[in-house]
This record gives sequence, C-alpha cells and structure tokens, in this order.
Amino acid sequence: MRANRRRPSNSIEVNFLARWLVVVLLLGLGGIFFVYLKNQQHAVGDQTRVVEAALREVEAKNEALAAKITSMTSRGALQRRLDDGYLHLEAIRDTAIARVTPAVPAEPDGVLRTASREPASRLGPDAPQRVINR
Amino acid sequence: MGRRIGLVCGFLVLIFTFFAWRLIYLQVAQHDYFSLKAAEKHETQIPIQAKRGRILDRNGEELAVNIPVQTVYADGTHIHDPAAVAAVAAPFLEMSVEELTEKLTTKREYVVIHKGVSEENARAMIRAMEDHKLHGLYLQEGSVRSYPNGEMLCDVLGYVGPNGHGADGIEKTCDASLMGQDGFRRIEHDRKGLEIVVYRGQEQLPENGSDIRLSIDMGLQAIAEHEVDEAYKMNHPASATAILADPNTGEILALASRPNYDPNKFNKAKPEDMRNRAISDIYEPGSVFKVVVTSAAYNEGIVDDKTRIFCENGHFSYGGKVIKDHHGSGDLSIPEILMKSSNIGAAKISLRMKDQMFYDYVRKYGFGTRTGIPLPGEIPGQVIPPHRWDMLTKTRMAFGQSISVTPIQMVMAMSAIANGGKLLKPKLVLSKGEGSAELEEAPVAQVVKRESANYVANALEKVVSTQGTAPLARIEGYRVAGKTGTAQKISPHGGYLPGRYIVSFAGFFPVNHPKIMGIVIVDDAKLGESANYGGSVAGPVFSKIGGKVARYLDMEPEPTDAVTQSGEKTTISAR
Repeated sequence: MRANRRRPSNSIEVNFLARWLVVVLLLGLGGIFFVYLKNQQHAVGDQTRVVEAALREVEAKNEALAAKITSMTSRGALQRRLDDGYLHLEAIRDTAIARVTPAVPAEPDGVLRTASREPASRLGPDAPQRVINR
Repeated sequence: MGRRIGLVCGFLVLIFTFFAWRLIYLQVAQHDYFSLKAAEKHETQIPIQAKRGRILDRNGEELAVNIPVQTVYADGTHIHDPAAVAAVAAPFLEMSVEELTEKLTTKREYVVIHKGVSEENARAMIRAMEDHKLHGLYLQEGSVRSYPNGEMLCDVLGYVGPNGHGADGIEKTCDASLMGQDGFRRIEHDRKGLEIVVYRGQEQLPENGSDIRLSIDMGLQAIAEHEVDEAYKMNHPASATAILADPNTGEILALASRPNYDPNKFNKAKPEDMRNRAISDIYEPGSVFKVVVTSAAYNEGIVDDKTRIFCENGHFSYGGKVIKDHHGSGDLSIPEILMKSSNIGAAKISLRMKDQMFYDYVRKYGFGTRTGIPLPGEIPGQVIPPHRWDMLTKTRMAFGQSISVTPIQMVMAMSAIANGGKLLKPKLVLSKGEGSAELEEAPVAQVVKRESANYVANALEKVVSTQGTAPLARIEGYRVAGKTGTAQKISPHGGYLPGRYIVSFAGFFPVNHPKIMGIVIVDDAKLGESANYGGSVAGPVFSKIGGKVARYLDMEPEPTDAVTQSGEKTTISAR
C-alpha cells in the first residue's frame, strides 16, 4: 500500500483572501476618505467662521464711520462750526452764477434770486407750474 | 471543574446582561433626557439683532442713526489670572486696573463688564488679549442710537430708552416699525465655546426695522430753530415755539421750541425741557381765536361784507363786566375788526350767534379734540360746553379767553382758513420703509365754505398792514395773512397773572396760494407790559422765518396788495 507522502496541510484560498482584503482595504480607504472629508469640512467651517467674523467687523467699522461722517456733516454740527468761526459762508458773486432763466430780483429788498423761474404770466397759461410742495 | 466554569460563565452572563440592560436604558429609555442634556451643553441659539430703522427728513437727511457698539462680558470660568487680564484690558475699557480686577475675580459664566464700548476699542482689546494669550473677555454686538443734529428737532424725534425701545417722540409712536424683528441661529460649539460651523442648525434672518421718512424739511427746521433761539435769547421767555406746516396737506415742515434738550444725553435733561410744547401745553390763544368767530358768523350769513359793528369806542359793559379794546373805535367792518383786533367787535359777533352754533364751530375747528399727530402726549385742550357757560363765557371765547388750545390745534385751524375751509389732520410721517407708498391723510372735515375761508383770509392780510396790529410780521415781496394774539397768563390760583402774557402770531403766505402756514408763540417774555404784544414780539420772528423760508423754497415773489396809510388798497408789483 502506497502511503501518501505529502504532509497534511491546510490550503490557503488566495482568491477568497484577496477578495476580502480588497473589501477591507476599500472600506478602510472609504473610512479614511470620510475622515479626511470631515476634517476638510471642519477646516472650511473654521475659515467660514473667521471670514464671517471679519465681515461683521468690517461692516460694523463701516457703520461706525458712516455714523461719524453723518454726525460731523449734520446740519447741527455745521451750524456749530459756522458759529464758532471754523466755517465761513462766502457769497457767490452774481457773475459767477450760470442762469438757465433770467434772474428775478425781489423788490424792494433788491435780492436777486439764485435759482429763478419764469413767472407763469410770461410763459402763458399752458405752461407747467412748478410745485413748491417740498 | 465543569461547575466552576459554569459559575464563571453565569457570572459573566449576568454582568453583560446588566451592562446590556443599562445600555438599553440609557440609549432608549432615557434617550430624550440625555439628548436634551447634550444639546444644552453644546447647542445654543444665538440671537441675530435686527437693526433699528433710521429716521429721515422728507429729503432723506438722516435724523436718527445707529452706531455699532460692543458689550464686553467676562466668563469667569475661563479666567485664570484676573490681574493679568485686567492689566491688558483696562486701558480699552476706560476703567482702572483695580476696578476691573475686582469685576473679573468671579466664577460666574456671564458678567457684563462694560456696555457701549466703541467698535474700535473693543476689537483692539480682543487683539491685545490674543497677543498676550489671555482668555475670558468676550464681545456681544449691539448699537446705540445717535441723533446727528443734537438738540435740533428733539421734540419730534424723541429718544430711545435703555431697553432699546422708543421712549418719546416718533421713536415711541413708530417703535414697532423701527424695531424690526430679531432673527436667530442654532449652533453647536466646542468646549472652547467656538461655533462648529458644520453643525450649524436652523437659522432665521432678522427683519431690519423700517426707515421712517418724516414730513419735516431740515432746511426749514434749521431756519425755525435759529429764529426761535434768537427770540429766546433776546426776550428771555419761559418758552418759545414755532411750527411751520403746509396748509394744503397738513404736513408739518418744522417744529422748534425752547427750552429743549439733546436726545443723545436725554438722561441729563430736565423733565420740563423734554416736554413737547407744541402738543402738550395749553394756552389761551387770545385774539388769534377771532378768526374762528368771524369765519363761523360769515359762514352762517350772520355777518357779511356790508356788516358794520359798533365797537363802543373801546368800552363795552356786558354782563356786569367791561370789555375793553386797545384802541377805541366806532363802527367797524368785519375785516377792520380783525385788523384792529377789536375784542368788543368779536364779542358782539359772538352774541349774534346761538350758543350751540358757536360751540359747534369751535369743535369743528378741532378745539377740544386731539389732532391725532403721531406724537405721544398730545392733549385735547379745554373747551367749556354751553351748559356750563355763564353770561360772559361766549363773549370771552370770541377773543380767545375761557378756552385753552394747543399750538398744533391753532396751526391746523388757521390752515383751514388758508386752504379753503378744510380741517386737516397733521401729517408727520410720510412713509414707513424704503419704497413704501406715502401715507395719505383724508381731511377731517369741511369746517366752513371756501368763500367764508377766503373772506377771512383776505381780511387777515390787513393785519400785517401799517394799520393792523402786526406790520412787523410782513415779509418783503410776499402777501402775508395772519393774526396776532396777546393773552394774559392764567394764574394757578385763579384769575390772571398781572403783566405776564403769552403772545403769538399765526399766519400764512402767499395769500393767493398759501404754501406755508406758521405760528410763533412766546410765553412770558421778559419785556415791559407796553412792549409785550403778539405783533411786536412774535410777529417779527414770523417775518424773519417767513423771509428765509421763501428764499429757501425759492418762492416766486408776488404782487403785493398793500394797504396805504389812508386805508386804500393799491397793488404794487414785487418785482
């Protein structure tokens, strides 16, 4: 009787192993990719937060400066500066005014209108009337 | 051996069964409870503040704006060395290091350190903290209300109280529109308190408050403020008020009074300076009220163009009392009664009217009722009903005694004379919100017929003639109609205060097509009794305001009906 000279051994099913290795590798890669994406998301989120804070800061600065400009150029502030002598009103010479329509002096004080309109009587009845309702 | 193994296995099974049960209990049975606990720890809802709307004048000039500021607060659990933090932060907070150290020595999570820190200082402080690697001080965004024109128009604008809501003026009446609606954002934060943007949750954007556009024209307001201020400094009265309005629409164009206050520093103002005298002060209008009795009588046909009334040469005994005129006269026409401001003439006209009829006209002109101007604190004035009148009441009311009115009521009543008899509701708010339609106000009532209003308006033009009581109220180049009023001040103890007067002038121009209605009231000017009259104190202020207003609005000069010394009318050209 011929004895089996091969020593007993368990065979490795390479195909089976390889298949599972690929599956595990893919799962692992998927996991790492997920973590990578999540980290990226957080990094972008942090950047978003920083940019938003910077935007808010710029907006607030802009508003503060706009309010300062409004306050410095307000009627009250300009009047105070005028009263204190920091500003001075200079009369515009009549020759320096370009007039679209002839000037109408208001007698008897002789004041020349700086912006004048043709009297309605000169323009005729169909002429449009300017509404002074401001 | 097998028994031992069985015991160990059984023990392990019991332990794992316990753990499994505990796990299921925590994860399933207590799910909601622990979810909430986790959310409380990491989730929070941060408010996004809506910006308060601005207040603008009719031309878009900013009258009330917001300045962004920061509230600095401390989280005591993040501060390890209060002295070090205080040393860095104190210079930015205008506080001493000791004071700040004391405030920072706490384990509370939210301690307000300083409110209203400027944007610049707050950011600089945070940067300095970061440079020194210190934590524990944080910023909370906010804003403060600012009124760039300071005291100008304070009575109309009002101010915003510490709670962020309007406390007076338009800020109060339009608070709901100005406030807007705060938004919110649900966020999760890490253990450092920083937001994890990835887990940002539900968000509702804020709805910013609407801008309010007023009918006020700041150009006209500046003119009124300047002239009222001059009158206040010159005559040292208890108060001085001027109102300008468009008599055709009821739009209030300017409202100035002294004393006043700075709404930026409202907490330092005296309460009496914060009262809006145009709507919350009542006074006896004096002779200005004669327009009511004359227009009513003319409207009812009780008097007409030909009527002449004997004015008793200045002394009229009636009901046991004497009614006096400043200058005695004989027979006077209705325009002459107004021109000379005859008390006797006005009283006699009133006597021709039935009590109820006269009372009804007074009420139709809006006296005794709030005008409905959108400002807080308006009072209705006082009109005594006929059943409480004595024999003299009607005659007194005819020349503006025994009745109390507010300046705004007088403006609207005179506007009715100027616009052909329509009583209008005063309009102060043109629109709410950008692009919104202009708010329309319907006339309250047709008080008198157009002819009656025009008749009185033409008669009032003579008041500013050289023979009238207010030649100083004239405006060069324009036809002006108006009426003076000089009323003794009522004593709080009954009767009148001797030598103390409230003087006024209410007028409009140009007479043919009135564009501007104005009233000037000077209360208790410190002048001699002989100089303290509506025509000599309030009239000139009206004239100065009117002249500047005409120039500002570039109103075309018109032919002026001047009354000569002889009383004859001549038409002269203003050009």
